[in-house]
Amino acid sequence: MTQSKTPGKLPVKNSLGFFEIRMESIGGLGANVAGKILTEAAILGMGLNGAGFASYGSEKKGTPVKAFVRVCEGGHKVRVNSPVEEPHVLAIFHEALANTVPVTAGAKPGKTTVILNTRKTCAQAREFLKLEGGRVGAVDAMEIAMATGSRVNMVMMGAIAKASGFFEWKALEDAIREAFGKKYPALMKGNLGALKRGYDEVKFEEFPADGKYPATPFHREVPRLGYENAPIGGTIYSAGNMRFKDLSTSRTGMIPLFILDNCTRCGECDITCPDYCFVWERGKDPKTGKDGMVLLGINYQYCKGCLRCTHICKFDALVPTKEAEQDMDKITVKHKFLK
Amino acid sequence: MAETAKKADALPAQEVVVQTGNEIAATAAKQINYHIMGYYPITPSTEIAETLDAMKAEGEHDVRMIPGDGEHGAAGICYGATTAGGRVFNATSANGLLFAFEQLPVQSGTRFPMVFNIVTRSVSGPLDIRGDHSDIMLAMNTGWIILMASDVQAVYDMNLIAPRIGEDMAVRLPVMVAFDGFFTSHQKRRVEIFSDPQVVRDFLGPFVPTVTSVDPRKPVTIGPYMNDPDLINNKKQQADAMVRADAVIKKVFAEYAKLSGREVPVVELYRMEDAEAALFILNSAAETAMEAVDSLRNQGKKVGLIRPNVIRPFPLKEIREALKKVKGLVVADRQDNYGAYGGAMTIEVKAALQGVKGNNTQVAGRIYGIGGKEFFVEDAEAMLSEALEIAHTGEVKVPYDYFGADPGEKGYVPPKAFDPITAEQATGLIRIETTPEGKIDVKGVNLRALTGRPKRVSSGHGACPGCGIFVNLNTFLKGIEGFVTVLFHTGCGMVVTTGYPYTSHKVTYIHNLFQNGAATLSGVVEMFEERKKRGEIPKEEKITFLMVTGDGGHDIGLGPSVGAAMRNSRMIIIEYDNQGYQNTGFQLSFTVPIGHATSTSNYGPHQKGKSTHHKDTAQIFSACNLPYLFTAAESNPRDMIRKAAKAQKYADEGMVFGKLISMCPLAWRTEERISVPIIQAAVDSCFFPLYEVEHGITTINYDPEEKGRKVPVTEWIKQMGKTKHMLKPDCKDVLDSFQAEVDRRWLRLKEMHKNPLL
Repeated sequence: MTQSKTPGKLPVKNSLGFFEIRMESIGGLGANVAGKILTEAAILGMGLNGAGFASYGSEKKGTPVKAFVRVCEGGHKVRVNSPVEEPHVLAIFHEALANTVPVTAGAKPGKTTVILNTRKTCAQAREFLKLEGGRVGAVDAMEIAMATGSRVNMVMMGAIAKASGFFEWKALEDAIREAFGKKYPALMKGNLGALKRGYDEVKFEEFPADGKYPATPFHREVPRLGYENAPIGGTIYSAGNMRFKDLSTSRTGMIPLFILDNCTRCGECDITCPDYCFVWERGKDPKTGKDGMVLLGINYQYCKGCLRCTHICKFDALVPTKEAEQDMDKITVKHKFLK
Repeated sequence: MAETAKKADALPAQEVVVQTGNEIAATAAKQINYHIMGYYPITPSTEIAETLDAMKAEGEHDVRMIPGDGEHGAAGICYGATTAGGRVFNATSANGLLFAFEQLPVQSGTRFPMVFNIVTRSVSGPLDIRGDHSDIMLAMNTGWIILMASDVQAVYDMNLIAPRIGEDMAVRLPVMVAFDGFFTSHQKRRVEIFSDPQVVRDFLGPFVPTVTSVDPRKPVTIGPYMNDPDLINNKKQQADAMVRADAVIKKVFAEYAKLSGREVPVVELYRMEDAEAALFILNSAAETAMEAVDSLRNQGKKVGLIRPNVIRPFPLKEIREALKKVKGLVVADRQDNYGAYGGAMTIEVKAALQGVKGNNTQVAGRIYGIGGKEFFVEDAEAMLSEALEIAHTGEVKVPYDYFGADPGEKGYVPPKAFDPITAEQATGLIRIETTPEGKIDVKGVNLRALTGRPKRVSSGHGACPGCGIFVNLNTFLKGIEGFVTVLFHTGCGMVVTTGYPYTSHKVTYIHNLFQNGAATLSGVVEMFEERKKRGEIPKEEKITFLMVTGDGGHDIGLGPSVGAAMRNSRMIIIEYDNQGYQNTGFQLSFTVPIGHATSTSNYGPHQKGKSTHHKDTAQIFSACNLPYLFTAAESNPRDMIRKAAKAQKYADEGMVFGKLISMCPLAWRTEERISVPIIQAAVDSCFFPLYEVEHGITTINYDPEEKGRKVPVTEWIKQMGKTKHMLKPDCKDVLDSFQAEVDRRWLRLKEMHKNPLL
């Protein structure tokens, strides 16, 4: 790969000299890889400098993850290591995240372009995200990914490149080839197709900071349990408090739908569900009237959409269905955890 | 991909790459072409071995990769390899370093150089996988040279420099290269590397052993028992070598600077020329702090930064020189020495200044960034401002303090999530009856009725969709009546159920270390029984003690589990075998079958997946005289539940072991929703036979041959992405070997089933 003849210039920089990108996603959608590709494209293909990394912890597939890219002019040193708090481009890979994670924290009108992977229009996206204002991008990355045989991250990269305004096509292509081209050469066409469509099809619209929604400054997490009030040694006393978490953001489009009429209450679903979503109660069997354990339904707060239960059920009582076609509040059955 | 760096003609060619700290450490190791890497995975250093393994599969180097049974074993492998006279490399973090710890002074005391990359991470208690310096600072007194790499470029440079220093005949000491976990290890940065690995090898020269354990013509005794007249002399030799290392380090740094065009100072001095106040800080945080120095300098403040690149031997001269005009100094430590009123660097700097006549530098120590807590430019500015205040007032108001700790929200009480499961709620579903012949009969194994068993693990845990661990755990626990206390080894199960301040355990749960779960739980059991004996706990109180480990935990923890078996501790150990160290990134474990691909047994033109057969933990424990052991799978849930009930009964007598095969869609590269057919194939191929051993008598519970359902192993492996390559022609020998071994073990098991003596 030849070096870009003129080291790139950035259209806009923050006070430390960086153009910053933050991707909000869940494990498994490829945001981390996208960040790395963008970084490599900038450094190797465009004579810029920069850093690419992700938020790391014990993330598993489906749990929230952030990927960061910092870009600066060649010769400028990258000395900060902390997460991107006020990005120039904020790309939300997974719409449902906005329900549980402050994905738009740090977005500033006039500075940040917010891109959402969605079927909504820019105006609808703005409403959905409750954005103070600024440039909003909307792209149906899921649909384009499926159509091109690629993945959401490739489409989002195209949209991010468009929003940034300085990424060079050849640099991106070379970086993608470097990441996957050798191992999966057959996928290159689809990947580049997805990248191009993301770039071409993302729509932007500008919204003034009209006071409709408040500003969303970035807040650094401050633990509620600290050195004054946390039980010593790190012991946790509230047994089972993970049940307060909402795991619905781990789903990527499909849910199991419970058809009560087909259920024989065999209990196999309760064996196969890793997330213990099935709500059973002692009562009268709807068919026989006899006393016994009765399945009331699924608590979708915990369902990650693995669909194991749909594969196990021999009676078509659990059927894979598109989440978007369901009223989740209506069909969810809550556990009675406390008396 | 390369961009040719424009350097003077005399310098060897370099190219630009974009790599993380871990990747570049692997690249350096590849270019050096170490003879051996002994290793064991631990976050955040796992990627070094993974990257090297992937490179090996592609034929890019000759480094022989040897997985240890644990870090202690890996360090032992490295020690042995260094005695045999070659260049050796290892990489670890935090508790991995601690587990290897007793090897460290032997490596230095018996004078065998090697290079150990420490990707710094918080030391457990409680466990935190993110980066601070609590691990590397514990190594300060082990006799190793310690180089600090503050960014990704430095990781490369220091790794090339390290062997030259350690192998120098005036030194002959092992060397650590420490860089920050996640902040440096996982960030992609622009790095310049030598294009031709030969340049690197020429810089290092060939490895010259002073002694080797593999020359029978020169027989030597390595590591004798040494008594008091002699040890002090051995140590003085070692100490003198460390003192001599100081000059060697400077010499090698200078040579490397000439070769690369990059200056590597022993101590980085940033805008220190006329600084009256300074911040002393290491690695990635120092980089951030330089921005703060610039920002304060722009306001006319005379501040600077000191960042040593070497901490053993401590660069006394350079630091004393740097502090000559400095009146106020803040030393920031990313760890604490608890009770020493300062972290490691604070203590050493203060000690260094003690040797300076007329010292004017007042020092305050600050503990920051513990457990990976982010360090921001504003934080460095605050520390520099404190240093300025010290400089101006001549007074250190607060000599030792934590920076950035949060007191917590006053009055906050975490909400209650569950009422504790009562004995009544957890009893009455399963009944054990003993037949006149003495056989145990389990009643009540009805899946519908058992949905009434309160779950001991709550919903809300963070496992991947489709995780087999929680299916196995839930199914097994349906067979357990009454109170349960669980202990988990480190692994996926533990990590996704207990991210502070959350827990998904509704019953009492303990997590100690990665490998000594069985020892820990034995301690719990013995204490429980002793306290009952003393009347501190009612005698009727019954708790079933259950240890949950992955196959990984039983590589590193097999010793303690066998120890518990030898003590016949009254507890149940269940091992979920998902075939790999999945939590740390799908590295191989010893239960992975031959040919299977993992991140440290890649498939490529030069490597065909794992090279050895799978470990049989159940058979290892069957040699331990346990009252009961079994295998179970989610394809046969009633069998598993029945065995759980039996396990509970036998745990009154002694230790019980159960092995469960566990789906991992991510590592096995399968669709999340398809589980039972895959597990069923593993069972029907007799790779994972279902059996139990009661007081030494083996009973096969399900014989696929009898049922006409036996299939070749291909029926199992064709369903998984991690094994698809085994169906290719180039893997035929591996596949045949796998099938033959599965058949052999099945035939043996059938004999055990027939013969009460086996």
